[in-house]
Amino acid sequence: MKAALLTLALLLVGPVSVVRAQMAIPALEARVTDLTGTLTAGQQSALEEKLAAFERRKGAQIAVLILPTTAPEDIAQFGVRLMESWKLGRKGIDDGAALIVAKDDRALRIEVQYGLEGVLTDATSSRIINETIVPLFKQGDFAGGINAGVDQMLRVVDGEPLPEPDPSWKRDEGGRVPGGLVPMILMVIVAVGGFVRRTVGRGLAGAITGAITAAVVFAFTTSWIFATVAGGIVAVVVLAMGAGALQVLNGMGGSSRGGWSSGGSGGSWSGRSSGSFGGGSSGGIFTGGGGRGGGGGASGRW
Amino acid sequence: MRKWVMGLVVVLASANLSGCGYNKLQNQDEAVKAAWSEVVNQYQRRADLIPNLVAAVKGFAAQEERVLVGVTEARAKATSIQLTPELINNPEAFAKFQAAQGELTSALKSLLLTVERYPELKSDANFRDLQAQLEGTENRITVARNRYIQAVQEFNVTVREFPTNITANMFDFEVKPNFSVQNEAEISTAPTVSFDTSTPSQQNTPVEGAPAPATPPPAN
Repeated sequence: MKAALLTLALLLVGPVSVVRAQMAIPALEARVTDLTGTLTAGQQSALEEKLAAFERRKGAQIAVLILPTTAPEDIAQFGVRLMESWKLGRKGIDDGAALIVAKDDRALRIEVQYGLEGVLTDATSSRIINETIVPLFKQGDFAGGINAGVDQMLRVVDGEPLPEPDPSWKRDEGGRVPGGLVPMILMVIVAVGGFVRRTVGRGLAGAITGAITAAVVFAFTTSWIFATVAGGIVAVVVLAMGAGALQVLNGMGGSSRGGWSSGGSGGSWSGRSSGSFGGGSSGGIFTGGGGRGGGGGASGRW
Repeated sequence: MRKWVMGLVVVLASANLSGCGYNKLQNQDEAVKAAWSEVVNQYQRRADLIPNLVAAVKGFAAQEERVLVGVTEARAKATSIQLTPELINNPEAFAKFQAAQGELTSALKSLLLTVERYPELKSDANFRDLQAQLEGTENRITVARNRYIQAVQEFNVTVREFPTNITANMFDFEVKPNFSVQNEAEISTAPTVSFDTSTPSQQNTPVEGAPAPATPPPAN
C-alpha cells in the first residue's frame, strides 16, 4: 500500500520535477547579479556603475551573473537560455554580452549576442577567460577576476563602432503599434472622422480628428514630430474624403457599428499601451533591450 | 446599401483568410526557412574552420595521419552536399545531410581526443584560438538546431491541426523532416565500464550483481 502510494506520489511529482530540472533563470534587475554573496556591496555597486556608464556612453549592455551552479545543464546551454530571457543588447543591434560564473561548478562563460560576435569573438572571449580571469580565480580572487575580465570585455567592445546610444531608444517593441492593427486603426480614424464631419462640418472635423490622432500618436510614441505629422495627414484625409467613401464608412462606423468598432479597438489599444509602459525602460530597474544571440562566446573552467 | 454589403463582404473575406491559417502557414514556413539558413550557416562556419585546424594539428602531430585524413574526408563529404532550399522538404536528402554532418562531428571528436596526447600542441596559442572557435561553433550549431527543431514543430502542428490542415493540403504544405538525436544507438545501449584494463575481454560481460558503475567514463 505504502509502495503504491509512493509510486502514485512519484507519478504525480515526476512531471513537475522534470520541468524543474532546469535551473531557473534569475530575474534581471541589475547589471550585476550575485546570488552567492561573493562580491561585497561596494564591489557590486562599483561594477554596476562601471557597466551603466559604459551603456550610457556606448549603448552596449553588459551584465554579470554569479550563481552557485547551472546543473544539470552545461553552462553553455544555460547561457543561451539566460540570454533568451534577459535579451541583453539593443533591439536590432544585439549589442549585449554577459559574464556568467557558476561558482560551485568552477565554470564560467562569456555569452555574446549577435551584434558583438565580431569583436568579442570566441577566441577573444576564450583568451579573456583563460588568460585574465582564470589565473585570478585560481588564487581565490573572484572580485579581482571578474573586474579584470569585465574591463577587458569593455575595452574590446569599445573598439567596435556601434550606433550612438539614443536616450529615447525604444527598448521594447510594445511601444510600437503592431502592423496588423494599422488597417483597423485607419478604418477607425476614417469612421470617426466621417461621424464628426457629419455633426460639426467639414473644416472643423478635419481639425478635430487630426488633433485626436496627434494626441493618440503622442501617447504611443512620445514624439511630437510623429504626432504632428500623423495628425496633419489624418486632417488632410478627413478634409479630402470623397462623399461616397464617407457614406459607406458612416453607415458602418457612425450609426449602427460605431460602438462595436471603436469600442473593440479601444480595448486592445489601452491593453497594449499599459503593457508596453509597464515593461518599458522608465524607472531605475535595468531591463534588456531586446537583443538576440545564437550561442556565441566561450566557456572555461578554473 | 449595396456599398454597405460590399464593405461587409470585404471584412468577412479578410477575416476568413486569416482564420483558415493561410497566413499562419506562410509565416511559419518562412520561420522554418530562416531557422534552416542559420543551421546551414553554422555548419558552413565549422567547415571553414577545419582546414586551419588540421594545419595547426599537422604542425605538431603529423604522424596522426589517420585521424587527420578522416577529418578532411568527412569535411569533403559534408560540403559536397548541395544545400538547396528544397532540402528541408525532402526527407531522404535531409537524412543524408544530417548523416554527413554527424560523421564530421565524430571525426572532429576523435581529432580532439588525439590532440590530448600532445601537450605542446594543446598549449599553442594558435591552436587554442582555433579550439575556442570550434567549440563556439559547435555550440552555435546546437542552438541553431534547437531553434530549427522548434520552428519545424510549430509548422508541423499547423499543417496537421484542424482546420488549418485543409488549407495546408490545398496549398501543398507538407510536414517537414526534423533533426533526430544522432547517437540514438549509443544512448540506448547501457554503458559498460571496466576498471581492469589488463583484461579487456571482461568489458562485454559484466558480472551480474556487480556494483553499478559509480563513475562515468571520463568526458572527452
